[in-house]
Amino acid sequence: MADSFVTNENSMLILGIVGSLILICLSGVSSTFGPLFAALGAVCAILWGANAISRVASYGLGTGVPSIGYMSLGGGIVSSLSGLIIAERFLSKSLGAVTAEYVGPIIALIIGLLIGLIIAVVAKKLIGMKIPVMIRCTAELGGAAALSIIGFSVAIAGSLNLTDILNTVVLTGMIGLLFILNTMAIQHPYNACLGPNEDPVRTFKCACHTAFLSMTVVGICAVLNLGYVSLPIIVLGLICWIISFRSFVNASYEDASEVKWSGLWPEVEQ
Amino acid sequence: MSIILMIILIIIAGVAMGAGVHFIPVGGAPAAMATATGVGTGTAMLAAGAGMTGLITAASMANENPILIIVAGAIGAAMMMGITMFVANLIYVYGTGVIPVSAKIEKDPITGLPQEAYKTPGTEGHGVPTVSFVSGLVGGALGGLGGGLSFYAISDVANVTFKNVMANPSPETIIIIAAVCSIGLFFVNSVVASYNIGGTIEGFHDPKFKRIPKGALASIIASLVIAIFIAFIVGGI
Repeated sequence: MADSFVTNENSMLILGIVGSLILICLSGVSSTFGPLFAALGAVCAILWGANAISRVASYGLGTGVPSIGYMSLGGGIVSSLSGLIIAERFLSKSLGAVTAEYVGPIIALIIGLLIGLIIAVVAKKLIGMKIPVMIRCTAELGGAAALSIIGFSVAIAGSLNLTDILNTVVLTGMIGLLFILNTMAIQHPYNACLGPNEDPVRTFKCACHTAFLSMTVVGICAVLNLGYVSLPIIVLGLICWIISFRSFVNASYEDASEVKWSGLWPEVEQ
Repeated sequence: MSIILMIILIIIAGVAMGAGVHFIPVGGAPAAMATATGVGTGTAMLAAGAGMTGLITAASMANENPILIIVAGAIGAAMMMGITMFVANLIYVYGTGVIPVSAKIEKDPITGLPQEAYKTPGTEGHGVPTVSFVSGLVGGALGGLGGGLSFYAISDVANVTFKNVMANPSPETIIIIAAVCSIGLFFVNSVVASYNIGGTIEGFHDPKFKRIPKGALASIIASLVIAIFIAFIVGGI
């Protein structure tokens, strides 16, 4: 069950898009648990992105796994900000200010997918990259990057309101932290697990641990703005991080032919 | 500054960033084992180091003369690139014990020193020889120039139009928005350029350098798309 879920790209796509959009929109429901839902939404987006990166990078990009992660977050950071701003400026009059806030993440997702798609088409048609899944996976990565930035931004700001996000995430410089944090969380799992006996389930466990570790860091960043409301993010993030990290380490032990502690270098007289 | 001029400047900046990557001696994993010429890491890392330093030096000149912003960005990035290559060379020479040598040319075009005799058989060169070092400095400066140019263009427009997005934006918000957008542009262009060179390159003497027109065209398209969405971010559209 877990195997087929992790290896099926469509189920990961649904987890990423539907799961994270619903969780991010749920942040408006409760002011106490809203930031927690948004952070979990970003975790879903990171899992989706890590899965997309493992599919595209398994063909060998020639530039290393981190490069495509940085590229997707470079596009993602522009698409997340522009999505929120477009919703606020052009839709708040026709839809009402509150509905427009909920539409923002969806527009950001579409822009992220679009930027990823165009870059992938350029890379494939113009530069001549020979990776069959390049277009789909890069587009997915752009969308995942945009949603992960929005999820964590909402978790820090405490609401989907654009001015709140600009004041608490952009003005404080947290956006730079989110850029690197999400890049690492998305690109590290496959970068750490790649190789001839790469196991998608083990990579997924690694992705869970990077995502929940990022969530914990975001919870700590949110303390300045939200106070005790950020406590559930830190506590749940830590618990899930410990569980996923343990299961990742256990999976690594199981897949290794043998694990031995070699001891220190013997002291030999020169 | 009009929004069209901003988009054009961002495209020029994107091409400069992409071109800069073609000059930087990126060695990748083989160089990390001292079996290929260049700094032993990928483009994204080198671009991150040099590009972000360039953006910080450019941002420190915010609201000054545009030429000062652009030159500050170029010098900051070139300096960071130079330090990276110098320290890498120290490690290659004194740590690994190899001589900086290029595998792509017989004589260094700058110093005229023979290369072939110093290359370990079976490797693609080692370290950062003089020609790659100079090429890397040019690449860093080009990348920083692009970063400074896009930072100037975005902050100049945002100073006027960002009030459409939020009431009474502070100068810091505008600087950070310009820096974040420039970083996004930088990474997209550096990775697209890095796809074009296939991951590794020695510098302007490398045969792969001839692919630069294709890389420039790819950068123009990618930058145009990013520039349109940056125009939405700064409130210009």
